[in-house]
Amino acid sequence: MFLSEEKVLRVQGLKKWFPVRKGFLALILGKEQEYVKAVDGVDFDVNVGEILCLVGESGCGKTTTARTILRLIEPTEGSIQYHEKEITTLDKEELRKIRTKMQIIYQNPFEVLDPRLSVKSLVGEPLEVNNLTSNERELEERVLEALKEVRLTPPEDFARRFIHELSGGQLQRVAIARSLILRPDFMVADEPVSMLDASIRTEIINLMTELQRLHGLTYLYITHDIAQARYIGNRIIVMYLGKIVEQGPVEDVIQEPLHPYTKALISNIPVPDPTTKRKRILLSGETPTPVDLPKGCRFHPRCTEASEECKSKEPELQEIKKNHWVACYKV
Amino acid sequence: MKVLEIENLSTHYLLGKETVYAVDDVSFCINAGETFGLAGESGCGKTTVAKSIMRILPDNGLIVGGKIWLDGQEIVGLSENEAKKFRWRKASMVFQYAMSAFNPVLRVGDQIAEVLQQKEGCTKDEAYERVKKLFEVVGLEQSRIRDYPHEFSGGMQQRAIIAQALACNPKLIIADEPVTALDVVIQGKILDLLKELKQKLSLAVLLITHDLSVIAEESDHVGIMYAGSLVEVGDVISVFKEPLHPYTAKLIGAFPSVAGEKVKLEFIPGTPPDLISPPKGCKFHERCPFAKPICKVESPKREEFGKGHLAVCHFAGELDLHR
Repeated sequence: MFLSEEKVLRVQGLKKWFPVRKGFLALILGKEQEYVKAVDGVDFDVNVGEILCLVGESGCGKTTTARTILRLIEPTEGSIQYHEKEITTLDKEELRKIRTKMQIIYQNPFEVLDPRLSVKSLVGEPLEVNNLTSNERELEERVLEALKEVRLTPPEDFARRFIHELSGGQLQRVAIARSLILRPDFMVADEPVSMLDASIRTEIINLMTELQRLHGLTYLYITHDIAQARYIGNRIIVMYLGKIVEQGPVEDVIQEPLHPYTKALISNIPVPDPTTKRKRILLSGETPTPVDLPKGCRFHPRCTEASEECKSKEPELQEIKKNHWVACYKV
Repeated sequence: MKVLEIENLSTHYLLGKETVYAVDDVSFCINAGETFGLAGESGCGKTTVAKSIMRILPDNGLIVGGKIWLDGQEIVGLSENEAKKFRWRKASMVFQYAMSAFNPVLRVGDQIAEVLQQKEGCTKDEAYERVKKLFEVVGLEQSRIRDYPHEFSGGMQQRAIIAQALACNPKLIIADEPVTALDVVIQGKILDLLKELKQKLSLAVLLITHDLSVIAEESDHVGIMYAGSLVEVGDVISVFKEPLHPYTAKLIGAFPSVAGEKVKLEFIPGTPPDLISPPKGCKFHERCPFAKPICKVESPKREEFGKGHLAVCHFAGELDLHR
């Protein structure tokens, strides 16, 4: 697949620290403010026309990264460039304009879609609030077109319905139509099929990739399911405790993971084939909360290969193979 | 030795004037030291099967037909008081969300000890001694015995729930989505623990999950449910390698894998039927690519193909389902 070198998004040194609420005692003793370092220095690019998967366990900062990119939450530090335009400094009005081009699909459509609105109002709402339509007829036409695009046919019938009359898969289609109607060029998809049953997931994934080809969209696809990432993504980024540990072409990273964490993670993913025998790599302990981060490599307390160097200095991402970057001294 | 045997189980829920046909004519059995994986999509009746076995159906849930033998004893006909005696001692259950299974204001150790005091008539000290041993069995530090549930991580809570399930040395453990809420690394550890316990204590395990990957790795035998019916049963390799029912084949094909060649993922158009008014004939016919006129009018019968490999489909064995 041809991937242009042009960037939709360039993220550099992105940090998002959430302050921990201080207790009374800490307050009078003047203890230092603590932070949850949800995203702690992340750099990556998203190329035009690609599907970039952001994977990791819960709490690794993947959703925070995505939300910070859209400025749904304000970054603590760092730069986010959308088509070479810095968006961390934009004011509200400028941001509103640029957001019509950057959209998000959430995990749970039930929480996003207002149960009191018809599908037509839900899908037409983005056009109305952005004053992108002049009259009722145009609005209706565009809503029907968007519904047709996500295969909710006949669109006239679906437009009249309310969300309690739709299945989970159909709801997610409504959510996709609602994002697509603004003709964005960049979409964040945050676990868009995790709520759905396996038998209908593929249908939604296929729809998303078809729309991507049709409209030249670029996706940042967030998922905890690496097997799913393998089927949808071009490139993959693996995060651990707020940092990128490995990134590269999907097949390279999954078939030949280089970082000890990625290796362990992939070895633990069950495979739907009883004749494949794989050995799980055990990791000691569980992922800590990102408040008291270990010095040096944040994975070293659970890593079997850790040496003195790993305990003192944090490794940077290095290109080990073509386009395959790893943050580990032992590779 | 058969620990659990279910014969033609049907369970319905009564909703005012309507009836939900949640479980319809389900039969399977589990031997000691064996894991039976029960898979299917949400709403297919997996959990209702579990609740029927434990006799913990809600008030409007009714076992309308069939028999369940647990360790040689028929339990559908038992009164509530008699049912109380076998729960925990012969069969116990591990739930999906350990955090909501424990009472947050009581210590974890106390909650497990309570089961022993109630069921086995242990004194407090005896119960505590046994809880300590149970903690060791499931890989928890004994010093954690006086902790509250919120002081446990997700994986530790799941271990504690397993310890509780083991408290009265049951023969059967029903694990209902035991790892769905966990990250893969911890998921792997919990699954390994269940496997180890199964072998050591020669438990029968009923593993319920929607995730066929987990089923493939952990089960000896598999049952696939669709819309309340068990459409296919067999040993894990036969079912995964030579599926007989189109639903089984399509569902397996819908699961992405990190290993092996990348093959096109399947999907099944449409949604499962409403179990208040299930379709006539084969319940899968509306979504089945192989459906013929007979499928719309006549319910298929259960037939055996190969040893212990059964399917409920008019055309089982005649279809080309290999990928």
